[in-house]
Amino acid sequence: MTQAQADDTRVDWEAALVQRACGGDSRAFERLYREHSGRVYGLCLRMTRDVQLAEDCTQETFINAWRALARFETRSSLSTWLHRIAVNVSLAKRRKASPVEPSLDDEEGTGAATEWTLETPVEVREIEAAIEALPDGARDALVLHALYGYSHGEAAQMLGVAEGTCKAQLHRARKLLRERLNVEVG
Amino acid sequence: MSGADERKVGSLRELSPAIEPARDLWPQIQARINAERSTAAPPRPARVRALPPRWLAAAAVVASVAVGVWIGRSLLPAARPGAQSPISASRESFADAPTALDVAYVSDPRYQRDRAALMKTLQARLEALPPPARAKVMASLAAIQRAKQDLQNALGKDPGNALLQELLVDTYQDEMRVLTDVQASDAGREI
Repeated sequence: MTQAQADDTRVDWEAALVQRACGGDSRAFERLYREHSGRVYGLCLRMTRDVQLAEDCTQETFINAWRALARFETRSSLSTWLHRIAVNVSLAKRRKASPVEPSLDDEEGTGAATEWTLETPVEVREIEAAIEALPDGARDALVLHALYGYSHGEAAQMLGVAEGTCKAQLHRARKLLRERLNVEVG
Repeated sequence: MSGADERKVGSLRELSPAIEPARDLWPQIQARINAERSTAAPPRPARVRALPPRWLAAAAVVASVAVGVWIGRSLLPAARPGAQSPISASRESFADAPTALDVAYVSDPRYQRDRAALMKTLQARLEALPPPARAKVMASLAAIQRAKQDLQNALGKDPGNALLQELLVDTYQDEMRVLTDVQASDAGREI
């Protein structure tokens, strides 16, 4: 089976599980949770930098998803839908936990890196630590764009900022990563 | 965040987005969902009687299509002239390898007795229904039958698949709901 076929099959199963969960079947919803919890938790953890907060955000994400499942359109991507909820929940929790950082709204977006290649290979733990140390806005944009593969526009929409702001945050993230990792980030 | 991952990568795109939580978060999610369900309406009404037969047909079709696609792509060999039909293969493979859940359900004497009683009067009940309602019921039962056959076929290939087992038992239950609804219907009433 090709990867594309495997993905199609998974989506077919997912649509069936969503239908069943909409009918009140919590076992079907648990299967959706098992399928998506790692990526949702990974997003929440990178956005909040706090294990307890990330666990709370993950739970809140799936509870909100359960409540709104009847409004989810199975033609769209469930993972993207869940990630949107996770971003909203994480941003709200983070706003409660800490003051808002200075906005980059006035900065002009520059051509942000698209591949995020490193001049020389770096240990995963070192990169994760460098990402964790980034300011919130730059880290959010970087995680959604570079790790989760969302476009500038999609990441900006999820974060509730202008696309130019998102590009500026990515530019900032690349500059800070280059300084912290001491390698060129292309 | 990835603990002691000493693997080196040449691009941020190689980092895994997924991080597994240190503990299982599902029990608390389930508890919240159950608590909400006990105090408020579920995402959609779950009362079987309130569900029109077309919903059951749609559910059965979803299961049937999903299983069919899955079987076609992951289990069955490529179609060739003279190949055995999936349904006949289903019957044979299912007879060879019945699943524990399936056997337990269909061999339950109460299920057998209730189903036999409902089937006995089904034809008469159907004839008493208005033609549109009769057509809906027939379509629902046919869709459910197809879903059962697809699921049995899939389980013959993958007897340990818990989701398939659950879907099959649910399909038996869907069939019983339709039969019970037909039994309970009045001749002139839309079911």
